[in-house]
Amino acid sequence: MTMNMIILTRTTSTIKMTGILSYAFVLHAVEAAFLASITCGFIGAYIVARRMVFISGGITHASFGGIGLGYFLGINPIFGAAIFSILSAFGIRLVSKQTDIREDSAIGILWSFGMAVGIIFIYLTSGYAPNLMSYLFGSILTVTSTDLALMGILAAVTVAVFLLFYRTILFISFDEEYARSHNAPVETFNYLMLTLVALVIVINIRVAGIILVISYLTIPQSTANLFVNDLKKIIILSMLISFAGSITGLFLSYYWNIPSGATIIFVFVLIFMIARVIVYLRNLKKRNSSVADR
Amino acid sequence: MNELIKLDNVTAGYDNGIVLRDVSITVSHQDFIGVIGPNGGGKTTLIKLILGLIKPVSGTIQRFDNQEGSFIGYLPQQSQIDRKFPITVRDIVLSGLMSAGKGLSRYSSKDKKQALDLLDQMGIGHLAKRTAGELSGGQLQRVFICRALISSPKLLILDEPNTFVDNRFEHEMYELLQQFNENMAIIIISHDVGTISYFVKTIACVNTYLHYHPSNIITEEQLAGYNCPLQIITHGDVPHTVLQKHDHSHDHDNEHDHTHPDHKHD
Repeated sequence: MTMNMIILTRTTSTIKMTGILSYAFVLHAVEAAFLASITCGFIGAYIVARRMVFISGGITHASFGGIGLGYFLGINPIFGAAIFSILSAFGIRLVSKQTDIREDSAIGILWSFGMAVGIIFIYLTSGYAPNLMSYLFGSILTVTSTDLALMGILAAVTVAVFLLFYRTILFISFDEEYARSHNAPVETFNYLMLTLVALVIVINIRVAGIILVISYLTIPQSTANLFVNDLKKIIILSMLISFAGSITGLFLSYYWNIPSGATIIFVFVLIFMIARVIVYLRNLKKRNSSVADR
Repeated sequence: MNELIKLDNVTAGYDNGIVLRDVSITVSHQDFIGVIGPNGGGKTTLIKLILGLIKPVSGTIQRFDNQEGSFIGYLPQQSQIDRKFPITVRDIVLSGLMSAGKGLSRYSSKDKKQALDLLDQMGIGHLAKRTAGELSGGQLQRVFICRALISSPKLLILDEPNTFVDNRFEHEMYELLQQFNENMAIIIISHDVGTISYFVKTIACVNTYLHYHPSNIITEEQLAGYNCPLQIITHGDVPHTVLQKHDHSHDHDNEHDHTHPDHKHD
């Protein structure tokens, strides 16, 4: 009985699949996946290389306070989130540099404080917050033209920053003190990049949600890192993985009628695991052949 | 005298206290200064002052440079480096050309060729496309020496260069440094006084205060008076050439350290 029903839904959705791209919201979703892959390709590779994944997680969750504030004031929650994420990013850096509070502790504090502020504001806002779930879990199928325009602008800025300053970013990230001894503008770049990290996180909350956005910034990059070892190559390969994974996840979620954000992340992890097995088998083969050579 | 850097009565430290007091030293062209002293004595702080990474609390530091950025080549302690960072060897070397005014520009093919030439000179040209994590400690050290040299600096500073280096390369490195010394001044920090005293021309003993010895020989009495690193006196059972007292065994020691440069007690 259940089997029949699955087969039935499958047939109908296959018919629907052919026409899927004619829906405006699906096109929007594909565009959003494309732009998310670009911004997260650059910024994700940067935070993975610099071991900034935890601070990025903190920024992401702290921005929830801004979403709550946005609901409360009746403005676009994304703008509230942008302010909260930049302030928390700078706050974590300043607090850990200038006080004796350690960085990971500062992250923990701002992470939970942002979430708490968000919950209080949403509670205080009269009426039901309709899109709350989409901010928590992402909803690539409901991105608006405004979201896409903002994503496009940010993607252009990110590409420009990396094209112009790639080497400076690379050198400062690799050895900050050495860069400082060469009078490179280390602090300026650290804050510029922190701002970009915060904005990229916030803009992609619409796609993947607060709880899942970190996956866009880490899983494709870690997968790429299995095959290539140069920051530039990690950026490019992670973009491809990210886009392929998003589109696959998008279609699977449509086909099985399950949440898109979670499906995309599931696909990302699947790709990572397959890649890891491929690398493992390749190394095994290499080892065996070198043993045979002897 | 072709002076490069002059520290005059410099006192420096961090939030939790003063590390260096009343330090005066002048570094001139073709100097080869070995900086010795106990851990926490202020060796690295001295280097940070010279590099301009920290500012003195009092006193003055003069730099007699007319070139931007490329005045000092610096080899940091390897423990500071994230070896899993995704960067190629060639890019590490090129990062030595980084300077305040060079944020925008790309590296010319001349720069890239120079990086490869340096790597070739160090015998690791074939590793140019590898990444930091794929290299051994000794190989990575050569890469960092290339990075320090690519800007043709007038002063080369090495912070504990022998920590992660295999013994064979350690000796090779000191011989290379003597070649470089014909064109530039060198400051080398080491806790292994026995080894560096063969190569350096003068010794600066740093333990809050700086005592400068215009030769590479220190007497045991001097060391005791300065409260300087005593590990060299307890440096195994073998008496050390750095101590004048043991001058009679100089030749024997010399050979010993050349054939067994690994004889360290860290």
